[in-house]
Order: sequence, then structure tokens, then C-alpha cells
Amino acid sequence: MNISYNWLKQYIGFSLSPEELASVLTSIGLETGSVEEVESIPGGLKGLVVGKVLTCVDHPDSDHLHVTTVDLGDGNGPVQIVCGAPNVAAGQTVIVATVGTVLRSPADGKEFTIKKSKIRGQESFGMICAEDEIGVGTSHAGIIVIDEDVKPGTKAADYYNLSSDYVLEVDLTPNRVDAASHYGVARDLSAWLGLHANPSAPHRPSVEEFKVDSPEGGIKVVVENETACPRYCGVTIRDVKVAESPKWLKDRLTTIGLRPINNIVDITNYLLHGMGQPLHCFDLKQIKGNTVTVKTVAEGTPFVTLDGVERKLSENDLMICGAGGPMCIGGVFGGLESGVTEKTTDVFLESAYFNPTFIRKTARRHGLSTDASFRYERGADPNICMYVLKLAALMIKELAGGKICGEPVDIYPEKIEPYKVTLSYEHLNRLLGKDIPESTVDKILGLLEIETEGRHDGAVDLRVPTYRVDVRRECDVIEDILRIYGYNNIDCGTEIHASLSYKTLTDQSDDFKRTISEQLTATGFNEILNNSLTAISYYEPLQTLPASHCVKLLNPLSNDLSVMRQTLLFGGLETISHNINRKSKDLSLYEFGNVYFFNPEAESTAEKPLAPFSEYSRLGLWLTGDLRVGNWLRGAAEATYFDLKAIVANIFARLGISQKEIVIKDAEPDDLFDSCQEVSTRSGGRLGKLGIVSKSVLSRFDVGVDVYYAELEWSSLVKLATGRKVTYSPLPRTQPVKRDLALLIDKGVTMAQIEEVVKGSEKKLLQDIYLFDVYEGKNLPEGKKSYAISLTLQDEEKTLQDKQIDMVMTRITENLKNKLGAELR
Amino acid sequence: MIDKINALKEKISSIKATSAEEVEALRIKYLSKKGEISAMMNDFRSVPPESKKIVGQALNELKNLITDRINTLREEVAAQKGSERLKDLDLTRTPAVTPLGTRHPLSIVREEIISIFRRLGFSIAEGPEIEDDWHVFSSLNFAADHPARDMQDTFFIQREPDVLLRTHTSSVQTRVMEHQKPPIRIICPGRVYRNEAISARAHCFFHQVEALYVDKNVSFADLRQTLLYFAKEMFGNDTKIRLRPSYFPFTEPSAEMDISCNLCGGKGCSFCKHTGWVEILGCGMVDPNVLEACGIDSKEYSGFALGMGIERITNLKYQVKDLRMFSENDVRFLKEFTSAR
Repeated sequence: MNISYNWLKQYIGFSLSPEELASVLTSIGLETGSVEEVESIPGGLKGLVVGKVLTCVDHPDSDHLHVTTVDLGDGNGPVQIVCGAPNVAAGQTVIVATVGTVLRSPADGKEFTIKKSKIRGQESFGMICAEDEIGVGTSHAGIIVIDEDVKPGTKAADYYNLSSDYVLEVDLTPNRVDAASHYGVARDLSAWLGLHANPSAPHRPSVEEFKVDSPEGGIKVVVENETACPRYCGVTIRDVKVAESPKWLKDRLTTIGLRPINNIVDITNYLLHGMGQPLHCFDLKQIKGNTVTVKTVAEGTPFVTLDGVERKLSENDLMICGAGGPMCIGGVFGGLESGVTEKTTDVFLESAYFNPTFIRKTARRHGLSTDASFRYERGADPNICMYVLKLAALMIKELAGGKICGEPVDIYPEKIEPYKVTLSYEHLNRLLGKDIPESTVDKILGLLEIETEGRHDGAVDLRVPTYRVDVRRECDVIEDILRIYGYNNIDCGTEIHASLSYKTLTDQSDDFKRTISEQLTATGFNEILNNSLTAISYYEPLQTLPASHCVKLLNPLSNDLSVMRQTLLFGGLETISHNINRKSKDLSLYEFGNVYFFNPEAESTAEKPLAPFSEYSRLGLWLTGDLRVGNWLRGAAEATYFDLKAIVANIFARLGISQKEIVIKDAEPDDLFDSCQEVSTRSGGRLGKLGIVSKSVLSRFDVGVDVYYAELEWSSLVKLATGRKVTYSPLPRTQPVKRDLALLIDKGVTMAQIEEVVKGSEKKLLQDIYLFDVYEGKNLPEGKKSYAISLTLQDEEKTLQDKQIDMVMTRITENLKNKLGAELR
Repeated sequence: MIDKINALKEKISSIKATSAEEVEALRIKYLSKKGEISAMMNDFRSVPPESKKIVGQALNELKNLITDRINTLREEVAAQKGSERLKDLDLTRTPAVTPLGTRHPLSIVREEIISIFRRLGFSIAEGPEIEDDWHVFSSLNFAADHPARDMQDTFFIQREPDVLLRTHTSSVQTRVMEHQKPPIRIICPGRVYRNEAISARAHCFFHQVEALYVDKNVSFADLRQTLLYFAKEMFGNDTKIRLRPSYFPFTEPSAEMDISCNLCGGKGCSFCKHTGWVEILGCGMVDPNVLEACGIDSKEYSGFALGMGIERITNLKYQVKDLRMFSENDVRFLKEFTSAR
């Protein structure tokens, strides 16, 4: 909403600069953004001065130019100016554009600068101007000749009494419709001035002069729907002359960004923005049957609005109708047929109060938002309708002539009274945390036009004016008092008032996230963050995560953002693709994020609307390219599945979940992975999956390299890891013993099988087993491979004897041989 | 014999070697099976019994002496060789780089915000992103036909019953309040969604942090103090705050908080639109209707709530100009935050 600084001053006196005003308005809840200077004439007549033509002779080398000398009143003596106007003559008082002045071409609006020049051999130091050349008029018949005796050197801006205005852009919150006008802003400003500066009451124009010119000729009004239209006021004015508005009125409107139309329409707009009351003016001749009926019409009734669009009305749209049918969507938009035109001579002026809900629904239904509907749907003041109607009628008479016919209509069956609220001073002080003296509170209430009805036990009964639609409860009054008192005048000390709160599982999860994040960062991982809204096309080819399980949006921004992700994988692949295209191909990435599922089997009911929907917190890890770039010391280390596995193992280790508690086993390849493994608890609780991303998925993201991916169930990990204690155990007194075995085995034998046999063969002494070499090359029998494993044996109590070690190793090799056909190499 | 031993003893202290080979040669010369000590051991047999004790002792001493000397020489040579090797090493070679990753800037800022509030005794609470109308709107005092609903463009999943993507983390407030009796002191970080065209300045998803404190006698002054503490911790001790009356359906009084522009220090620059202030969060006293909707007696309890956009704070801290950078995950962008914390 735009507020004109000068217009505001019409309603209240104050001495704040536009910038100061902006900051005061912001401090009382009328957030003011930009303050812009508006010039009623572009350029503001800068550089233009009044001059006196001293001499004027014909130009020696031209048949139409004149050479003049002009006194510019600057004390430097007359200057020579060449002028082409036929009407220039010695003794004239004229307007001169001095050297350096920037003017706009009347033809195309382009700017040009007046320079010292030579015109056909004669020097010229400026330009004597015509009306259109400086923007004060449209005449180009000749130069402006000023009749009055004006002193040379007077600034043209002063001569034309040009004053700048300022436009303040006020961003109204939805609850502050009371300030949706210049008067409304003035009223609120007055409350602030009353407490913090020189008190200044808002000035409300008088309507005392209003009188009915002729008792006959009024229009009848019938309100059928009183719920939708609690108050309807109207007046008939005949014999008006529709014309262009005077300059001052046009300036008011253009300053705040409105386009002047004609005097009648401009008056309604002026008062809407001046006083906040929407008005509508009908051409009386278009009101068939001389009766206005406020009612709803049959569903589907066609109606052409002012913008020429035909709309189908709903049976809940409140219409202002004549005998010939609807003429206006009440409080929202006028009709094409019934509006005021240049031909109009008689008008019917409406000033009503409509039910906010009705207006809001109608405006939404038709996708309309007008200055009127904006105010009505937030709640106009029902008790201002007649006043503004009279104000409008007086203005019409003044600017367009005409006579007021018949008593104004006022249908207001049930007067809306001020809201009654009781305020306790103690509640106020407790909520604000500061003791504001009762006298100050009372003063603010008075400034806010809130009446005090009675007092009892530290409380006051209040009557809040009906224009303050947002002030209905005690806490609303407290806010209003605080607004004027000053939000920043509530100071605070150095102590804190706080209750105790204890660590929750969510806190724990957050702590773990930080720990794991730091660990991954130190390993070279970059944290990424992807949109949870994604393309359904990613899921359409999948069986593992079918599109039917996607949570779908009813109103997506685009097809690419129409569902919620069921896995973090695809977002990471988008990231990988993006980065590979920008020459970053070695990527270790992780993301903490949610995944979302829809269960088509579950039913959403009023009690449990969310039953079919679920979301889980996950940790995704991606590896591709080199884990470590090569350098002079070591070659590049290409990322492999086993690196990812180690990183996952370290996450478990850091969370205190031991390898003994979890099972990692091969899983069936699915849509997402060419091969993969599953991690679960011993009891089968799913903890995650890791594997080599399927080539067909990668190709959809234009990724041509291998990608290793793990997705862990973060909340399950947190639950598993929470509450663990680390307890010291004495260091072993003995040293571990290492034994290596090089095994020749069938290609189909897995490390997991070997581990199982080894662990099964020796439970007590075996501390660790790992694969330290793999050989699958030449020199081996067909269908065989070689695994070299290293075993660590230890008895923490006593040193192992060779004999004992040999026994264990024999048992292990025997079992490997019998169960897996493994031979020692 | 004893003379021979003594002569050798004297000589031994002055034997020298400059390489491992020479040390080895000395070892062979003295200590091998065919070495001088062995030879002397053989000669020892012919020593008369009465001298055997003295000569034997002397011989043993000699052997130990030689062994020690050779060991010493070996260490010296090794040390010398080592230092020569290091002397040759070009230490200006580039490091054998160990990879170092980075946190996402939004995570860094999110954690910083949370840690400030945790220092003030808030604990973290979370709630679902897919929500019902009650938790996102109705319980928060958004009337069904209230214009305030226009303030937020909502993604809907289904209508009647309405299921939607939460437009703010305030829904977590009601999630907690409906199950927990005061005192409640929580901080709720999370992802929220708005149906807005994606541009440098708007995105369809972003992140918020909301704080809520409900107890007996929680006041606007408490809110102001929490805000001031947060602003100083987050943006530096010189930071000033300014509250402006505003409107949110779920708070009354409602306020918007500005901080003194941390780029120009409040003098005015293009970032703060020459006002010296930048808006960073919304806050207010919990509306009694919200407390009552969650079964908390608004006559007994009061509370404050505040909420901010993590992206906004991040932009303020790191001056990221384009919101889309945050979900593009360009590693060159992410690397810029290697030292951020």
C-alpha cells in the first residue's frame, strides 16, 4: 500500500521527515519499506529560472531565428540566447533553461542537456522554453510568457509552486486493515505522537454541510441477505457533470500509483485510499426499476465484470442488482454495464459494509483481488459507511455539480457495537515482564481511541472501536498497548529465567550426526543436501521402490518436482552428474535426509489423516572416482566397494556398535544395485544396504562411471547406539600371535564362508581374521583362486605355546579343507 | 697371553668404521668363528690352570668390549647413513595429500543456531514434514477462511482430510504441546516447503529453526533477552537488535526482529537497503488460542516462540546470493566452507 506524505499531512500535523516517518510507522507495526520522492513534473524543473528578455533582434543569417539578451538575475549580466519562437520579444518575462539543464524531448521523452552552442554563427547560452519542453503543459505554440512581474533569477520550480511529495510503501500485515488508508495511518501515527512527541489529533473532514437538495428522486434499496451485508448506505445524485478531475486530485492518485479516470470515479478512489471505505458508483440510468437489491443470484448466472470478462456467478456471491439483473459483485468488482461513463448524468453512490467471509470466498472463487475486496475481506469499519458516503456526496457536488436527491439510504438492522474487552493491569505486566504504570497504560488506551467503561479489582472494562477488527481479546489489547509503548522499550537484564530441560533422543541423534559428520569430513567426504521433492519418472521403472508408493503432490511446481523421494540415491546421482560435468570426478559424498512413503493399503481418516504416510531419517554415502588422488609418493587409490564398506564399518565402530552385533550379508540385486549387501541387527532389524549402483540407473543420470552407494537407517542406528557405556578392561598381559594361511580355493568360495569356518573352528583364541592378499591369475589350476588370510590368536591370560598354536592351526586348516575344499599353497 | 689381551683391549677403543661393510668386516675379524677372539679361546686351553681364572676374566672382558664397540660402531654408521639420507631429501616436495571434506553450509549454521539455544537449556524436538491441517494451521490459530492462510503457499498431498507439506516448523510446537505438559523448552529444526517458483531468492523447500518456551510467567522481556543473547552469540557481541510489531496467527503480541547489519555495522549499505538493519526472524508470545488448542491452560501458562530461516541466516553469514546453490551441491561451492564452523 502506498501512502503519500503530503496526503497524510492533510489528516494530521507532524514534523517528522519522510524517513523519520517511515521509521516511526515501522515501529508501530506499519512496516514501511522504501521512501521515494515523487515529482509532479518529471525533472522537477531543475535548472530552469525566470529571465527577462532585454533585447531581441532578428538573426542575421536566418529568417525565423532571433538573437536575444536575457537577464537571468544571477548578477553576471545578461546572456545571449538564440531563440526560434515567433512570439519572443524584448521586455518579456520568460522561463530559461540554463546551460547544463537536462530536459526531456516532448516528442519521445528522451533526455538531453542544454549546452553552450553556436547557432548559425551566433553564440547561445541556454534556451527560452515552451510549455511542453519543460513539462508544465502541452502547448508548443511559442515560448511561455509570464504576465506577472516575477524577479529574474526566480527558480521556475518556485514560480510554479512545485513541491515534491514522497511515497511510503507500507506493507500491511493481514490484521491491520484499520490502517489501510491515509486516515487510518494518521490515526495510528497520532497515538504514537501522543506518547512520544507533540500530541496531534487526526483531522477528520467535516460533513456538516451535507444536505438533501431535493426530497424526491432517490433510489429504493432492499437488502435481502443481511448476513452478507450488515449495512448498506446509498445516495442518489442527479445532474452531475462527468469530467476530468482537477490537477490536485489527479496528483493525489498518480502519486500513489493510481490512474485518474474521471471526477466521479476518482472521488471514490480518493476516499477509499483517504478514509479506507470502499465506495461504488452506479450510473442511475442503468439501475432498472429504480431499485437496488442486495442478494445472491442463481448458480451459474452469467455476469460481465468491468474488465470485460464474463464470469459464472455462484449462488454464494453477493450481488448488487437492479430489476434488470446483477450490476456489481458486492464489495469486489463492478459490472461493465452499470459503471459511470462520460455520458453519465445521474449516479447512485454506494457505501456498504460486507461480511468479510463472503467477500473473501467470492474474491477467491473468481480469482479477483481489488482495492475494495482487500479491505472488505479483512474487515472494514461498519460505523464509517454513512460518514464517508456524505463526504463523497459533498465532493461530487463540489467537483461535478449535481444535486442530492432523497434522504440517503441507511439499512443497518443490527448496529455493530465496539468490542468489549477486560484488561487486567497485572496480566499486562506479567505478560510483558515489565511494570508499566497504570497511568501510562490508560494514556495509551485513550490515544488508541479505546474507551474505558468501568474499573474493578485492578482491571478495566474497555470498548474497542469497530475499526480495530484484530483487537477482540485481552492479549490483543496488550499487543496494542505494547505497540505504542514501544517493543524496544522493554529492557532485559543479565539473568535468565529458564526451566530445566533434559537431553532427548532427538538431542542424542543430533550429537551422533555431528560426530559422524566430523568423522566423514576428516575422511574427505563432502556433505550434500538435496531437494526431497523429485521426479516421479525416477520411480516409474522401479519395482523395489514403485511409483505407487511415492507421496504425490496435488499441486506440484512441475513434473520434475511432483513426488517425494523414497531414497536419497537419486539426489546424490544428480549431484554426481552435476559435478562430473564440471570436471570434479572424484567424489565422496554424504547426506543426512528424510525419505517418504505412501502406503496405498492404509486409509486416511479424519482421526488419523496421516496413516498412509511415513517418513524416515537416512544417511546416504556415495563414492566414485578416486578416493585419493595420485602423487609422487603413492599412486591414485580408486574408490571401491570395499572402501565404502570400511567407511560404513567405521560409522558403526564410532557409534559403538560392534561387528558382533550386526550381520552383513549378500542381498539379491534389485532395481538400484547391480550387487549389494544388507546390514541388519542379529535379530533382523534393517540397518541399511550398500552396493554397486546399477548401470541402468546410472545411465538415467548420464553417469558413466561406477558409483558405490550405502543408505543407512539413521534412526535405527541412533536407537541402537544410544545409552551405551564404554568400560575400561585391563590390557592383556600377553602378546598376540599372527599366523598366515595361503589358501587355494574354488572361485565360488566366499570370504564370508572362510570366516564362518575359521570362527567356528576356534572360538576362544581367535581375535581377528582378515584377507591380506587375493590372487586369481596364472599358475593356478582352472577354476581356482588364492586367498591369503591372516589370523590373530591370543590368550589374554597366558602366553600361547607353539604346540597349542599348531593344534589350533591344524584344526582350522583341516576344517577349511573338509568344508570348503581349501588347500594350503 | 694376558699381554696380548691387554694390547687388543687398548686397540679396540680406537678402531673405527665408516660404513656398515667395515663394521661387518670388523665383526668377522674379531667375533666370527674364525676371528681373533675365537682363536684366543682356542689358545686359552693351553693356559696353565693357575692363570686360567685371570686370563679367562680378561678374555671375557675383551669379548664384551669388542661386542659393545662393534655395536656402537654399527649404530653410529646407521645414524650417519640415516642423517645423510634425510640430508638429501627434498622437503619442499608437495605433501602426500590426505583428503579433507567439508560440511554443508546450512548444516554448519543449523548446528551453530542449535548449539546457542542448547546453551540456554533448550532441547531439540522434531516432527513430520508431511502433516495434517490441524498441526500446521488450525491448532496455530489460522481460521479456516482467514487471510493469513494466503501468506503461505502450501503444497497439498490430499484434501479432506487435508494432508500437506508443512509450511513452517511451528507444527512441531503443537506436536510437543499436545503431549507434554509445561515446562516446555524446545528448539525445532527442520525442512519446510512452500509452493513458490524457484529463483535466486525463493525455493520450494528450505529450513527453519523454531524455539518455544512455555511455563508459568514467561514474559515478553524473557523473549527479548533470549533474542538478544542469540543475536550476540550468532553475529558478534556488538550486534544490536530491534523488534517491530508484526503479525502471526499463533503469537500475540507478534514481532519481527532485525539485527544491526553485520556487513556495514549499521551504517547502511546496499545489503540492508541503507536502513542499517536486516530482518532475521519472527517471534512473539504464544497466542492463548494455541495453548488452549493443545490443552494447556492459558491463564496459568504463557510462552514465547521464535522462528527463523536457516538459509536467511546463512546468507547473512556467508553472503551467498543465490538460494539454489544450497541444493546444487557443487563441490567447488562446498569447498568454500572448509573452514566454516
